[in-house]
Amino acid sequence: MKNLVRTLRTERNLAQGQLADAMGVSRQTINSIENERYTPSLPLAMALARYFGVTVEEMFDDQGL
Amino acid sequence: MIRGCSPAITRSRWFMAVFSFGLGLALLAVNWVGGQLVGGVISLAILTAFGLLISLLTGRSETVRGLTIGRDERFAQIDLRATAVAGMVVLGTMIVAWMVAIAQGRSGHPYDWLLAISGFTYLLALAFFRRIG
Repeated sequence: MKNLVRTLRTERNLAQGQLADAMGVSRQTINSIENERYTPSLPLAMALARYFGVTVEEMFDDQGL
Repeated sequence: MIRGCSPAITRSRWFMAVFSFGLGLALLAVNWVGGQLVGGVISLAILTAFGLLISLLTGRSETVRGLTIGRDERFAQIDLRATAVAGMVVLGTMIVAWMVAIAQGRSGHPYDWLLAISGFTYLLALAFFRRIG
């Protein structure tokens, strides 16, 4: 699923590992989300959106599904 | 940390080493009872080495880490798929072995029982998870 995770992360100068630690997941999971290979669960999507101060709808684009 | 999501680290890095060693000891015991002490010692050595190797590789590979200490939601999903594939392969193998046994004029034991248990367990699990899900 298309998303803004990489954009928002790099805007804040965060490494994938730092974001992964904050979310309690592996760095590979963040990488997979950014590369649209993995669609996160609803709790993880909400946690990511909350972390970056945006809504889930702003962060994830399900129109491409 | 995400509320409602399992934390990444739930098990010790040495879980696999201890588990493998315990399995090796059990194999040693049953081999001993069966009068095959040498085979038991070899099994113990192989399993202990395997467990140690996996534990030592934990920091280097995501796959190995997922088997030991770090299992987040994505790896849990991967684990579930891998388990399903392994289960399908075992089932397929048992069905073929059952048919071969019957074609050779044998009763089909123990494959018939194993297949019946597999099917029954699947139906029970289906009903259980449908109820709690």
